[in-house]
Amino acid sequence: MDKKILLAIVVAAIVVGAVVAVAVLYQPESRTGTVYYDTSITVPNMKAALATGQIDGFISWEPFVSEAVMDDTGEVLMWSSEMMPNHPCCVVVASTNFIGTEDGPDLTKRFLKAHMEATEWMLSAEEDHSSTNYTLLVTLAQEFTLKNSSVVSSAMSHLKYKYEMDSSFTSALEEFTQMYIDLNITTNETIEGMGYASVTDFVDSYVNESLLAEAADVQPSDTILGTVRLGYLVGDIHELAQFVANDPRALDGEKSMFEKYGLDVVIADGAPFSSGGAEMDSFVAGNVDIGYLGAPPAIVKHLNGGAKTTIVAQANIEGSGLVVAKDSGISSIDDLVNKTISVPNTSSIQFLLLKIALEERGYDFAVKTS
Amino acid sequence: MVDIAKELRRYLQDNGRNILLGLLSVSVFLIGWHLYSYYLSSTDSAIKWYVPAPGVVAEAFMDWFDAPDPGTDVWVSVHVIASLKKIFLGFVLALSVAVPAGILMGSSRMSNALGRPLVEIFRPIPPLAWIPIFLVVFVGWGGIAIVFLGIFFPILLNVQLGVRSVDPVLVDAARTLGANRRQIFLKVVLPFSVPYLMTGIKVGLGIGWMCIVAAEMLGSSTGVGSLIRISADLSLFPTMYAAMVLIGILSVLTTGVASLIERRLSKWMGMR
Repeated sequence: MDKKILLAIVVAAIVVGAVVAVAVLYQPESRTGTVYYDTSITVPNMKAALATGQIDGFISWEPFVSEAVMDDTGEVLMWSSEMMPNHPCCVVVASTNFIGTEDGPDLTKRFLKAHMEATEWMLSAEEDHSSTNYTLLVTLAQEFTLKNSSVVSSAMSHLKYKYEMDSSFTSALEEFTQMYIDLNITTNETIEGMGYASVTDFVDSYVNESLLAEAADVQPSDTILGTVRLGYLVGDIHELAQFVANDPRALDGEKSMFEKYGLDVVIADGAPFSSGGAEMDSFVAGNVDIGYLGAPPAIVKHLNGGAKTTIVAQANIEGSGLVVAKDSGISSIDDLVNKTISVPNTSSIQFLLLKIALEERGYDFAVKTS
Repeated sequence: MVDIAKELRRYLQDNGRNILLGLLSVSVFLIGWHLYSYYLSSTDSAIKWYVPAPGVVAEAFMDWFDAPDPGTDVWVSVHVIASLKKIFLGFVLALSVAVPAGILMGSSRMSNALGRPLVEIFRPIPPLAWIPIFLVVFVGWGGIAIVFLGIFFPILLNVQLGVRSVDPVLVDAARTLGANRRQIFLKVVLPFSVPYLMTGIKVGLGIGWMCIVAAEMLGSSTGVGSLIRISADLSLFPTMYAAMVLIGILSVLTTGVASLIERRLSKWMGMR
C-alpha cells in the first residue's frame, strides 16, 4: 500500500516536473509584440468605429484622415510619407483589351494627355492658395469628395499629385509584390504562370511607360474621337485628376480637358467603386476601359485574378495617415502593441505601408482574431 | 456499438434510394461546374480565374489542414470557431426573444395587431443595410445582432403559426376535462407548437449562415464570412469557393444537430 502511494507521488512529481520544464524551456519565438489589424470596416465608417472605441486606430486615405482630425475624433500618429517617403499610391490602369482595339492606343494616349494636363493644372493651382484656380480646385475637390473646404485643403496638403513613373515607383512596386510573395498571398509559381520570369520582369512588363511618353505629343482635337469608360474610387481625393479633367470649369468653361483631346469620358457601370479590388473585378467583367485605383490591388488582382490590365501612369504619391483616437494615450508606434488598427483591405496600400512601418520596429502585424 | 451499426444499416436500407438520388444530383452539379470551368480555361476566357475547377477548390480546402489560410495567415479553425460563436450567440438570443414573442402574438389578437407591422417592416431589410448602424450601436456585438435578425423572424413566425393552428377541439376537450388556462397552455398549446418551433429553428439557422458574410463586416476579420470577403479581395478564388463549401458544411452540421434534437423531442413527446 505504502509503495503504491510512493509510486503515485513519484509519478506525479515527474509529471509536474515535466510540465514545468516544458513551460520554462519552451519559449515562443522572441518577438517584441503584435499589432492587430481588421479589414472589415469600410473607410467611410472607420471614424465612427474609432469614436465608439471598437478600434484603437485606423489607416486610410485622404480626405478621411483630415476629416477625423478636423472634427476632433482623432489625431494623426503617423503619415504614410513617414512610413515610406514618396510611396506610390493611386495609379491609372488601362485594360489591355481596350489598348488592343484599333483606336485603343490613340484613345489611351489622349486620356493620358488630359490626365497630365489636369495634374499640372492642380499642381500650379496649389502653388498659390490665394489664386482663383486654387479656389476652383477646392470647389471641385469638395464636389468630388462631399467634404467641406477645410477638410479638402488639409487633405490635399498631405499628398502630391504626380503622373510620371520613375525608378522609385517601379522599385516600390517590386517591394510590394515581394511582400505579397512573403505573405503567401501570391507565389513565384503564379507569377511564372502569368508568363513573367521574375518579380522585376513582372513589374517592368506591367508598367507601360511608352504610352505616357508618347502622350506628351498629343494635340487637341475639335471632334470627339471615341468613348472611354472610366472607373474610380468613391470620393478618393487622390483621384481628383479625373474629376478635374472631366469638368469644363478647369478650362474655359466650354470643354473639359477630356473633350479638348477628343474624348467622351463616361462613368463606367458600377463606378464609383468602394475598393480597388471591386474596380479590378469590373475590369475583368469588361465594364471599365481606364480607371484610377491603388497600385497594390492592381498588382494582386492581375497576378491572382488574371485581370488583363497595365499601369499607364501615376495619379498621386503619399496621402494616407494612421489615425488614433484623441486623448487615447497612444503617442507612438510602440503604444500600438496589442491594439487593433482598421485597414481598408488586405489588398490596400495602407495595409502594406503599416506592415512595413511595424516590421521595421520589430513588431508583428496579424489579423485580429477575437 | 452494435446498436449504431444496426441503426446505420436500417437507415441505409430505408434511405438508400434517397441517398443515391442525392449523390446523383451533386455529381451532376460537380460535372457541370467542372465542364464550365474547363470551357472557360480552354477558351482562355477573361473570367477563367473566377471559376476554378472543383478539384482546385478541393485542393484549396485541403490546404487549410496543412498551412494557415493564405489571406489571413491564421488557421482555418480560428475562422470556424469565430463563426460558430456568432451563430450560437445569435441563435440563443433569437430563441429567447422569438419564442415568447411568437407565443404572445399567436395567442392574443391584440399583441398580434401590435407586433405584426413591426415584423413586416423589419423582416425584409437586408442585413447589409444595417452595417453602418450596428457598427456603432452594438460595438463589438454588431455581427451577433445581424445573425440574430436572420434567425429571429423564421422562429417568431413559425411559433406564432404553431400556436395559432392548435386544434380548437383539443382546447375545448381539455377545458371540458377541467383544465385551467395554464394547463391548457402547458399541456396542449406548447407541445402542439414544438414541431413548428423546430421548423423555425432549422430555417432560421440556414438564414443565420446566409447572414454570416454581412455579420463579419462589423469589426471582425475572422470567421468564414471574412474568409470569403478577404479571399475575394485578394483574388484567391479557390480559397473563396472553399470557404463557401465550408459554410455549407457548417450549416448542414448545425441544422443536423437541430434535426437530431427534433427527433429526440418528438420521440419523447410520443409523436413518433
